[in-house]
Amino acid sequence: MRFHVIIAAVFWCGFVDSRKIRGISSSYKRFYRERKSFLCIDGSKIIPFEQVNDDYCDCEDGSDEPGTSACPRGRFYCTNLGFRPHYIPSSRVNDGICDCCDASDEYNSHARCQNTCWNLGQRERAYVEGQMRTLDEGLQLKQQLIEEGVLLWREKQAQLRELQQVAEDLQIKLEEHRRKKHEADRLKEQTLKALEAGDSGLFRRHNSTVSGTFKLLDSNKDGSITVDEVQAKVALVHDEERVLSEDEAVALLGGGDQMDVTMFQHTLWDVLTKGDSVKIRDAPGVGEDPHLKAADRAAEWEATNLKQVEEAYEAVNMEISDLQKKLAIDYGPDWEFLFLNSQCYKLKVYEYTYTLCPFNQVTQKSTAGTEVSLGRWGMWADAPKNQYSQMVYENGEPCWQGGSRSTTVTLTCGTETALRSVKEPSKCQYIMDFQTPVACQLVLKQRGIHSEL
Amino acid sequence: MATFTERMAPVLVLWLAMSLSGTWAVDKGNFKTCDQSAFCKRQRAFKPGESPYRALLETMELTNTRLTLQLINDNNKVHLLLELYRLQGNITRVKINELKPLRPRYEVPDVLIREPLTEPLSLLSQDENGVVLSLGSESQRVIVSARPFRLDIMEGREVLMSLNSRGLLAFEHLRMRKDTFSYKVSSTVASVWDNIKRVFSSQVDPEGEKKEEADQATQAEKAKEEEDKVEDGMWEETFKSHSDGKPNGPSAISLDFSLPGVEHVYGIPEHADTLRLKTTENGDPYRLYNLDVFQYELYNPMALYGAVPVMLAHNAQRTTGIFWFNAAETWVDISSNTAGKTVFGKMLDYVQGSSETPQTDVRWISESGIIDVFIMLGPTPKDVFSQYASLTGTQSFPPKAAVGYHQCRWNYNDQEDVASVDAGFDEHDIPYDYIWLDIEHTDGKRYFTWDPHKFATPKEMLQGLVEKKRKMVAIVDPHIKVDSNYKIHNEIRNKGFYIKNKDGGDYEGWCWPGSAGYPDFTRADMRDWWASMFAYDQYEGSMENLYTWNDMNEPSVFNGPEVTMHKDAVHGAWEHRDVHNLYGFYVQMATAEGLIQRSGGVERPFVLTRAFFAGSQRYGAVWTGDNAAEWDHLKISIPMCLSLGLVGISFCGADVGGFFKSPSTELLVRWYQTGAYQPFFRAHAHLDTPRREPWLFGPDNTALIREAVRQRYTLLPYWYQQFYHAHRTGEPIMRPLWVEYPQDPATFALDDEFLIGRDLLVHPVTEEGARGVTAYLPGKDEVWFDVHTFQKHNGAQNLYIPVTMSSIPVFQRGGSIIPRKIRVRRSSSCMMHDPYTLYVALNPQRTAEGELYIDDGHTFNYEKKEFIHRKLSFAKNMLSSANLAPDAQFSTHSWIERIVILGASKPSKVTLKTAEGQESQLEFDFDASMSVLTLRKPGVNAGLDWNVTLQ
Repeated sequence: MRFHVIIAAVFWCGFVDSRKIRGISSSYKRFYRERKSFLCIDGSKIIPFEQVNDDYCDCEDGSDEPGTSACPRGRFYCTNLGFRPHYIPSSRVNDGICDCCDASDEYNSHARCQNTCWNLGQRERAYVEGQMRTLDEGLQLKQQLIEEGVLLWREKQAQLRELQQVAEDLQIKLEEHRRKKHEADRLKEQTLKALEAGDSGLFRRHNSTVSGTFKLLDSNKDGSITVDEVQAKVALVHDEERVLSEDEAVALLGGGDQMDVTMFQHTLWDVLTKGDSVKIRDAPGVGEDPHLKAADRAAEWEATNLKQVEEAYEAVNMEISDLQKKLAIDYGPDWEFLFLNSQCYKLKVYEYTYTLCPFNQVTQKSTAGTEVSLGRWGMWADAPKNQYSQMVYENGEPCWQGGSRSTTVTLTCGTETALRSVKEPSKCQYIMDFQTPVACQLVLKQRGIHSEL
Repeated sequence: MATFTERMAPVLVLWLAMSLSGTWAVDKGNFKTCDQSAFCKRQRAFKPGESPYRALLETMELTNTRLTLQLINDNNKVHLLLELYRLQGNITRVKINELKPLRPRYEVPDVLIREPLTEPLSLLSQDENGVVLSLGSESQRVIVSARPFRLDIMEGREVLMSLNSRGLLAFEHLRMRKDTFSYKVSSTVASVWDNIKRVFSSQVDPEGEKKEEADQATQAEKAKEEEDKVEDGMWEETFKSHSDGKPNGPSAISLDFSLPGVEHVYGIPEHADTLRLKTTENGDPYRLYNLDVFQYELYNPMALYGAVPVMLAHNAQRTTGIFWFNAAETWVDISSNTAGKTVFGKMLDYVQGSSETPQTDVRWISESGIIDVFIMLGPTPKDVFSQYASLTGTQSFPPKAAVGYHQCRWNYNDQEDVASVDAGFDEHDIPYDYIWLDIEHTDGKRYFTWDPHKFATPKEMLQGLVEKKRKMVAIVDPHIKVDSNYKIHNEIRNKGFYIKNKDGGDYEGWCWPGSAGYPDFTRADMRDWWASMFAYDQYEGSMENLYTWNDMNEPSVFNGPEVTMHKDAVHGAWEHRDVHNLYGFYVQMATAEGLIQRSGGVERPFVLTRAFFAGSQRYGAVWTGDNAAEWDHLKISIPMCLSLGLVGISFCGADVGGFFKSPSTELLVRWYQTGAYQPFFRAHAHLDTPRREPWLFGPDNTALIREAVRQRYTLLPYWYQQFYHAHRTGEPIMRPLWVEYPQDPATFALDDEFLIGRDLLVHPVTEEGARGVTAYLPGKDEVWFDVHTFQKHNGAQNLYIPVTMSSIPVFQRGGSIIPRKIRVRRSSSCMMHDPYTLYVALNPQRTAEGELYIDDGHTFNYEKKEFIHRKLSFAKNMLSSANLAPDAQFSTHSWIERIVILGASKPSKVTLKTAEGQESQLEFDFDASMSVLTLRKPGVNAGLDWNVTLQ
């Protein structure tokens, strides 16, 4: 009770001395002009003016108790001279914890609060100045990077065009080679067909002359048929597979080990054409046909050529689509983020090394050496104010309880480009703080310290 | 930051191999059924019938305080000793042990708060069939029948409870193993000794003796036969790959209890089942064996983390309780003669005047120890609570902050994480009192240490919390990493404090740190040492706002049988089998003692435990273990905590949001709304789940959660008062409706709503997509007020309440006065000096009563009478505050800010009169639509006498 009287006395003194209503900002002073009665700001109720800040909540909106903790929905204004003023919930008034740097919220508690506004202000100003410097520097660097980016963009575009040109050339070449190959194939086919057609009547139609047959048998074209040559070309009709013995061959050659064309005409020719015991061997004939061999070689040559060109074409096209994919990524309005592509940034946190390769992937490597993917480039997160403030990397290594690892990278303004921190607030969900000049925004500069300082 | 896999690889592989083989449900194959537990199978094979036990009345000895009597088993001639005590407060204790056991049998120490005080027993009558003893003044008698042995406890002509009426008393006496050398030697020696005895004994009536001798011989033979029947599992038992060598052989005990007139039994936690226990005839008995059950299933009798072998039986006339005082593995069978009947069948019985009274039969089976039963005879529910409290003590009185909201997660990663979560609560204006650190905060799962990188400066972190008037809990589990560079391990090993394996070496098992030892907490010297480790100079980085969480204290052994310790592990003279269910109790006891000692006995401790036993209420809070983010798990939190409350453990809660899996936003909000009205209010989440701090689900849901937590904080004065009351009386805080309405059968099976104390009825929304709930409001001549709208409802009705996402159906009983503090601040400590608003809910007689309890909120000074305890009463249009504890001294800054009278009529004048006799008029506001009268700013100090008159 006594305590309460003291509170009342404190209030009373407050009223008499300064007529100052605790806990309101200057812009709200008009609502609290000393009158007989007070109208709740929401207009819901009129109360005697003594009931303003009397530590009892009368107004639904809490407006009668801006300086006490009485209203659940109330708020208290910290003037914080020398620092930034702000509102705190009424529940923080006299709760024993210093919230306002001017100590105004703990006017009736055991908390010993110091006025720290000046120091805070100093620090804040220093910080803001630092930030501004960083921002200035950052923006300059960003300008350079934008220029570089533009160059890079052009370079990449040029590269793309070049590649496209190469691709076009290759395509022409490709068509030419296709045609050539087609022709070669056709030739080969014709030769083959001709050969095949001739195969059954080979002997009669094309080689049914004495000299023709002799030539066929005379493999080394020395004008005489030897035992070897007979063994190679002549076979038994009923056992084609068997190679004739030397004796058999000698017998066919009339007892000698060779025979010229004249002798052939009178001896072996008759045996071959009229008898039914031996014949000219069929098999190796087709492959070894010189025309066919040539056609085959030509076709093969063209195929190899075509393949090479095709491969080159494919490679170029891959490169093109890679480049197009890269160029399709949103690198910001001025391509300022482009330079990050193909770069990687590392940070060691305890026993892990994290690597961020922007627009590509994020990995984690333990000292033990295993590397785990924490996500591949997904997209810019759709942040409401700045659409280039967060990157999302998805579909990393799968997790224990389903799902896969993912990383959200927050970009902040700084003078260097570096990975600043990595955290894993939930299992398999990583967040990174990535600092870079290109994240510096001109709008930031317009804010600065509150005008009411 | 690393993946769990990488860091925990060895343990995890094991853990997964054991537990993850199923999908999202418990792998039942990891845990024994009754059939797989040799003694349970053996005992359950005995069917009701005539008991082989006979009371030897000639051995009866009756002293002033106890009756002793020998029992004999006619099948094996083993003598048992029955002791019967009448204890103060209407309790009967029945103890049965072997008359001459081969070795002492385990009797549970340290759980009873003192040797129970006895009352005289007197003999009423005696004949050859039995004796009748008087149990004090209330016409209560116990009849001891001799052949077969049974006990009947009567009041007037009514049988309250019968023991061994179904003949299921069994006592496996300790014996020598037949096939061992030592048995042969000792049996030979024994027969020699018998012969010597015979020669020297007086030789009266040689004929008679001869006959007797012959009798004895045949009987002995029969007994021998009986003994020779060695069944499987008597001397050894294997489960999966684990073998249990049983050097002491079979030692099970069993006893049946019949409860005539009883259809509702409750208690024997911990089970994930309905409040009302089910009959077990068609399945396994309820099992009591502390186990770390991975992803437990609901609605079954499987054992969980804790065990309190106390059952309550209730009907409209009487409540009784059975406390089966045994710490070994225990199974409880329940059967009922009405269980199978439909409502219609029961009605038919009633109409036709059916002969049969309903009856519930209960049978307890334990693996070792002795039969020691406390029969608590009520007759009211509150009598049973006080009877049980007189044996095992009451709920510890927690520091007030512990009654606030707790924010937990496995894990807050580092100090920065802790700071940012702390800041998040301020940013979103949600109060909380404790932030928790799970196992990852340690240096490699070495408890009492901190991770040198992530928690490099714990005192700095704790100081940051001190500045917000908040606190922290860090986990300290009882498994100790085997690591010669770890101080705790070295000291325990050097002092020989570890539990031993059957071969005498230190028992080692796998747990979070890998290979771990388990300190023998059953040793008082070990507990003293453990307690000393919490001293500020021992526990580096600890401060006065750091409290403790004991997890895994079943104990959990990843590679042990049923994920726990081998039963043949050795605790000094006893096997783990004897003490298993006590382990967690002792861990929490030693830890709480440590927190008390570090402050020189000044500060109240706060320790959360997962495993528990009878008496655990004395050491702190309990939670329902590793539940899951499912609606059914939200629902089951109610009967699980109600069951715990009935057996003394009031400080109970379930992980808000569910531990495993990730809750839908709706489930999370509903869980906060439910948890805000349960005694222990902590959100927790598994390592593998996404973050779920209250502000991560959009502003609407943040607002819903904020509102639920704020409702908790406005009611903290009432909650705290309930804790004080529970501490004083042993009554549950969160209680089933039947406790307050014992004659209303409609309340007997309700477990989707509950009371907090007497005066608040809560029916949380636990259905997905609910549009309404139907709450039963009890009390024929009572009224209930919706605490949010102040709408009045009549009692004894099922009330349909339409709900939205913001609804938490809560009602204040007409006739009650509830104090609140409506200035919700960052933490409970910040609200200490705040003024009170009194909610006076008038009953139809226009009266109301309530209390107001105030103390410093954190020390034991209340034991030195430093508190304010006031009675608030409203009658004859006057509300007054009177001192309930005139010999107590305490002063408060808090004052009475507002008085809200529900069900009032409009006065013309309201006068406040203070203790000094000063009178003043109070302004008031009357809401005619809801009949709510609000008195503006009485302004009197809450510790003083005053009254307010309405005219």
